[in-house]
Amino acid sequence: MNKSLLALALTLGLGSLAGVHAATPAPAINDAQIAHIAYTAGVIDVTAAKQALQKSHSADVRAFAEEMARDHAAVNDQALALAKKLGVTPADNATSQSLAKGAAAEQKKLAALSGAAYDKAYADNEVAFHKAVLTALDGTLIPSTQNAELKSLLETGSKLFHSHEMHAEHLAQSLK
Amino acid sequence: MLRTMILLVAVLAFAGGFMPAVAADTAATAPGRRVHVILVDKMAYGPMPTGVRAGDIIEWANHDILEHSATARDGRFDVDLKPGASAHITATAGTLAFFCKFHPTMTGSVVVK
Repeated sequence: MNKSLLALALTLGLGSLAGVHAATPAPAINDAQIAHIAYTAGVIDVTAAKQALQKSHSADVRAFAEEMARDHAAVNDQALALAKKLGVTPADNATSQSLAKGAAAEQKKLAALSGAAYDKAYADNEVAFHKAVLTALDGTLIPSTQNAELKSLLETGSKLFHSHEMHAEHLAQSLK
Repeated sequence: MLRTMILLVAVLAFAGGFMPAVAADTAATAPGRRVHVILVDKMAYGPMPTGVRAGDIIEWANHDILEHSATARDGRFDVDLKPGASAHITATAGTLAFFCKFHPTMTGSVVVK
């Protein structure tokens, strides 16, 4: 797992634990920040998919990348429409920034690879990425979300990430 | 002129002969034929219909924001479901086990008698 994703899981995980132990109100993460984190995660995976479509010649890897690009773009389009409807501007925050920075570094590493080595690294990273985002979604983001429509969209996103993670694991195993 | 009229009538009759059949297939207006709709939303198929008989219509209505499919495990059918779209098949006897080829965690099964 790359550092930013690990940071995401740890930061959000520790945030919720701190809330339990201190018996204080919910962690200070609001819907606008949650929307931004979820949206950033989607953008990261679409960007990774576009890179895969440029670099990979594997039919399986390309099919997977097309699925990631299509699904995450659809969810993000819906997230933007919802934000507009609710009059909420997704708020940039340290977690989003850390996530984007780490993803950029990961993409740079992947860019230096080619052929089978690239395919394997991309698939492995997709497994780690989806696992990390799922941990954050299910453990912190969804429970912390106040708006019912945003919560519903994130719940759909969680199911989507579960499905993608399963697909990524099958892909990674097939490339061994 | 007469030829044109005859041709026009023939064309209309030809078109009319097919259009009701297509409409009947969609609306299941044929006697004893029923439509069973399976809603698709939030990365899941809705409740599976019961009491389905061979010749009935099984329709999938995709209310989700994502593209899905209803793909038979035995290869009998494979329908794509764009967001907001519907598609149907005519049921044949047996157990119709299907999944979404884009999201294999989505599965369903309908018993057709």
